[in-house]
Amino acid sequence: MTALRRYKVLFLAPGLLTLFLIIIFPLLFTVRVAFSSWNVASPQMDWNAGANFVRMVHDGRFWSSVLHLVVLAGGTVLVEYVIGFALALAVWREVRGRRLLRVLFLVPMMTTPVVMAAVWQMMFHESLGPVNDLLGRIGIAPVPWLTSPGPAYVALMTVEIWQWTPFMMLLMLAGLLSLPREPFMAAAIDGAGPLRTFRRVTFPLLAPVSVTALIIRLIEASKMSDTVYVLTSGGPGSATETPGYYLYIRGLKEQQTGYAGSLSLTYLVLMIVALTIISALLVRAFRSQEELR
Amino acid sequence: MSVVAQSLTSWVDGEAHLDDVTLTLEPGRIHTVLGRTGAGKTSLLRVLAGLSDVDSGDVLLDGRSLREVPPWRRETAMVYQQFINYPHLTALENVMFPLRRAKVPAAEAQRRAKEALEQVGLTHLSDRRPGALSGGQQQRVAIARALARRARILLLDEPLVNLDFKLREQLREELRGLFSGVGETVVVYTTTEPAEALMLGDEVIVMHEGRVAQVGSPAVIFETPATTAVARVVNDPPMNVIPGTLQGEHVAVRGLDLLPRASHLAGFADGPYLVGIPAPSLTFGTGPGVLATITFVEISGSETFVHVDLQGTELVVRAEGIHDVSTGDRVSMTVDPSRLFLFTEDGTLAAAPPHGRS
Amino acid sequence: MSRWPRRAQYLLLIVWAVFTAMPFLWAITTSFKDVNAVQGHVTYVPWLEFEPTLEAWRQIFGGAGGVNLVGPFVNSLIITVCASAIAIVLGALAAYGLSRFRYRIGPAKNKDIVFFFVSQRIMPPVVLVIPFFFLLQMPGLLDTRLGLIIVTVALLLPIAVWVMVDFFDNIPREIDEMAMLEGCTPMQAFLRAIVPNSAPGLTVAAMFCAVFGWNDFFFAFRLTFTQVQTLPQAVVALNSSIPPWWTLSAAALFGIIPLLVLAVLVERYLSKGNLAGAVR
Repeated sequence: MTALRRYKVLFLAPGLLTLFLIIIFPLLFTVRVAFSSWNVASPQMDWNAGANFVRMVHDGRFWSSVLHLVVLAGGTVLVEYVIGFALALAVWREVRGRRLLRVLFLVPMMTTPVVMAAVWQMMFHESLGPVNDLLGRIGIAPVPWLTSPGPAYVALMTVEIWQWTPFMMLLMLAGLLSLPREPFMAAAIDGAGPLRTFRRVTFPLLAPVSVTALIIRLIEASKMSDTVYVLTSGGPGSATETPGYYLYIRGLKEQQTGYAGSLSLTYLVLMIVALTIISALLVRAFRSQEELR
Repeated sequence: MSVVAQSLTSWVDGEAHLDDVTLTLEPGRIHTVLGRTGAGKTSLLRVLAGLSDVDSGDVLLDGRSLREVPPWRRETAMVYQQFINYPHLTALENVMFPLRRAKVPAAEAQRRAKEALEQVGLTHLSDRRPGALSGGQQQRVAIARALARRARILLLDEPLVNLDFKLREQLREELRGLFSGVGETVVVYTTTEPAEALMLGDEVIVMHEGRVAQVGSPAVIFETPATTAVARVVNDPPMNVIPGTLQGEHVAVRGLDLLPRASHLAGFADGPYLVGIPAPSLTFGTGPGVLATITFVEISGSETFVHVDLQGTELVVRAEGIHDVSTGDRVSMTVDPSRLFLFTEDGTLAAAPPHGRS
Repeated sequence: MSRWPRRAQYLLLIVWAVFTAMPFLWAITTSFKDVNAVQGHVTYVPWLEFEPTLEAWRQIFGGAGGVNLVGPFVNSLIITVCASAIAIVLGALAAYGLSRFRYRIGPAKNKDIVFFFVSQRIMPPVVLVIPFFFLLQMPGLLDTRLGLIIVTVALLLPIAVWVMVDFFDNIPREIDEMAMLEGCTPMQAFLRAIVPNSAPGLTVAAMFCAVFGWNDFFFAFRLTFTQVQTLPQAVVALNSSIPPWWTLSAAALFGIIPLLVLAVLVERYLSKGNLAGAVR
C-alpha cells in the first residue's frame, strides 16, 4: 500500500540520513584524503598514490603504538572481567548496604573519563600524591608513576580498571539475575561446594553474557586516547602512546591530514579485523564451556 | 453496502495464508469464520482491515476498491484476542480514543463511550487503566471501544479464546445481545470453536488451509458439511472420518462389525468411501460387541470425550454426563448406523443423515 | 556451608568500595586545601592536618585569580541536552520503523540496518574528528555550539537506536495497529499510542545519551577552542603537574555533580528490577 510505504520511509530516513551525513560522509573524506599529501602547509586534495601508506609501513612509532594498545586494552579488559565477575557474584547474593554499594559502583563509569584522569594524575604525583605517600608508610620507596614506562602502564591501567570494572560488573550482574534457579538447586542437591557450583553451573551459564561483555569492553578500550592524553600525554617519550593518541598528534597537532587519514584507515581496519577474530575465538571458547556442562 | 472479498491470495515465505478467498459480507449480519489455527482466519481479518497486503485479489466496499485505502481511513473496528487497549489511558479514555480521532465532539464522545461501557457492564470501572483490570474486563473495554465507534466493519479475532471457560460462556451470551444492535455494520467474527461459530453466526464461513471450504447458515454447515475437513472442524470433538466400503446391505468400516446400511445411504454404488462417524453417534458399554481400548479421557463440562483405540483406528466418543472410565479400560463399541455421513474418497460429501437429529 | 565465601565476599566489596571512593575523597579534601596544605607533605584529614578553605570553590565561580566554570557548565548542558534530544527523536523514529516495518536496502534487511547503526560505536572519535574539523570549518561551524551538537549526535544516535529498537520490539504491535484502525496515521499511532507508553525505554536512552554526551572530551577539545568551552575541556585545561590542585579538584567535582545525580537515578531505576531484563 502506497500510503503505508510512505510512512515507512518517513520513520527510518531521517536517522539513516543523519548517520550518513555525520559518519559515513566524513569517513569517505578520510578515505580520499588518505591518498593525498594534504598537510597544514599545502592543504590540497592531490593524488599521491599510496605514498602515505608506504610511509606508515616504516613508521615504527605507529606500530609500537598499536602494540601498546594491544597490551593496554587486552590487560585492562581481562582484569576488569575477573574483578567485575567477582563483584557481580558478591552483590548478587544478599549483602548489607547493597543500594549504597550499587551507587558507589555505578559512579566511576558514569563520571567523565578525562576529569577523573586529572584527579588520578594528582594522586599519582611522585612527591605530593597520596599513592606514593601511602606506599611510603608501608615502607615502599616512591615510584615515578608517570615518568617511567613500566609504572606509567600500571597507572594507566589502574585508571581504566577503576573506571570500567563497574560496567563489567553491571553486565555480569544482569546476566546472573536472569539465570534460571533450577541448575543451582540441582547442584545444591548434588552437594556441590561453591567452587564446583561456580565451575560447573555459574560460569558456563554466563558464557554468552561473558562474550558480550568482553567484546563491548574491548571495542571501547581500543578507542583509548582521552585518558592517555590527560594522564601521561603518551609519555614518557612515546612509551604509552596509543594509535588514538598518535593520530591526534599527527592529524590534529601537526595537521598532517593526509598521513593521518591513512593512519586512521589502517587503525580502523586493524580494529575491525582484530575484534572480529577475537569475537569469533571468544564465542568458540565459551561455547565449548557451555558444552562441557 | 456490502464488503466483497475478491479472490484474495497471499503468500508468505512460500506458504499460502490466503488462497483465492472470495466472499460477500452483508451488513447487519454476523459472519463467523470457523477454522483451525493457521487456517487463514487472522490473515483474512488483517487483509480486510488493510493491515496486511495481498499478492492478488481485492476488497471492495460498496463496489469501491479498498486496495489503496490505508487502515486509518477504512472505518474498521477490530477486537484482538490479546485484550489490546492503550495502557496509558483509562477505560473511558480508551473507548473515547477512536471517537475523538473521528472528530466526534468531546461531550458527544464521552456520552457514547459511557453508553458503550454500560452495555458491557463496566460503568463502575471506567476510571481504571487496563493494567488494573482483569483479563475479562480488559476484553470488555476492547469490545466497548469497537462498538462505540459504530464502524462500518467490525472485526473480532477470536476475542474469547484467552478467557477462562466460565467467562467465555458468559461473554458469548452477552455478545449475541450486543451484536443485535449493530445495525448496518458488517460483523466478522473468527473462532476455532464450533459452538461459538454456530451460535453467534447468521452465516458461517469455514476456512481450511487458507481456502474457503464452505459458506452457509449454521444449520446447513452443521448438517451437510461439504467436505471431510469441514465435518471435522464444525464438530467438537472432531467427527471421526475413516475409510469404509458400501457392500450390498452393509457398511463396512475398518475395525467395526458390519453395519446395516441405513436408508439415507441407499442409492449409492458399492465401493470404497470415507465414512464420517459423529462422536455422539458412538456409544460404549460393557456388553458384547467390538472391543476397544481407552487411550485418553477428557471431561468437558457436562460431557465426556473418550478417545479409544479400535484395532489401530483412533476414534472419539462423546458421551453425555460424567463416565467413570479410565485409560486402558476395554470397552465395547456400538454405532448408530442412521447417523453416518458418507464422503467420496476425495473428501466430498455424498450423503448426510436426515435433518432434525444430530 | 563453609564461611569463607561470605568472608571473601565482604572483603572484596570493602576493598573495591575503598578503591572506588579514593579519587573522590581525594578530590573532595583537596578542593578545600590551599597552597600550604598541598605542598610539603601529603595531608588527608581536614582541621586535623590542614585548615579547610572555600577559596577554590570561590575561584571556579569567577573569584579572584580563578576561572569561571559557569560558562562551560552552561555550554555542556546545552550541548548535551540538544544533542541527546535530537539523537533520541531521530533514534526513536528509526527504531520504531525498524521494529514495525520490513525494510530492504540493497541486500540489507532490518537486522543488518540495526547492526549498521550500532556498529558506528566502533568508530574511534579521533578518526572522525579529523574530517569533522574540515567539514565544520567550511560552513563556519568550528568553535560553535551548533557544530558540537551536530557531531555529538553522531556519538549518541547509535546508542539511542540500540536501546529503542529493543524496547519497541517488546511493545505489542497490535497496539499501534489498533491505533491505525482507529483513525491514526502511522505517525499519529506512534506519537499517541506508543510514545506515551515508552517512558522506561526513553528514560534509559536519555540517561545513556546524557552520560555519553556530557563526558565527551575529544570532539569538544578539537572542534571548539575559545568561544565555546565545555566543562570537561575547562577542567582538563586546569590540569597541570604543578598545583593549584585545589581549583582543579573543585572544578572536577563541579563537572561530575550532574553525573552523580544521574547515578542515583540510575540506581533507583535498576532497583526496580529492570536489570534482569537488560540481557535476555
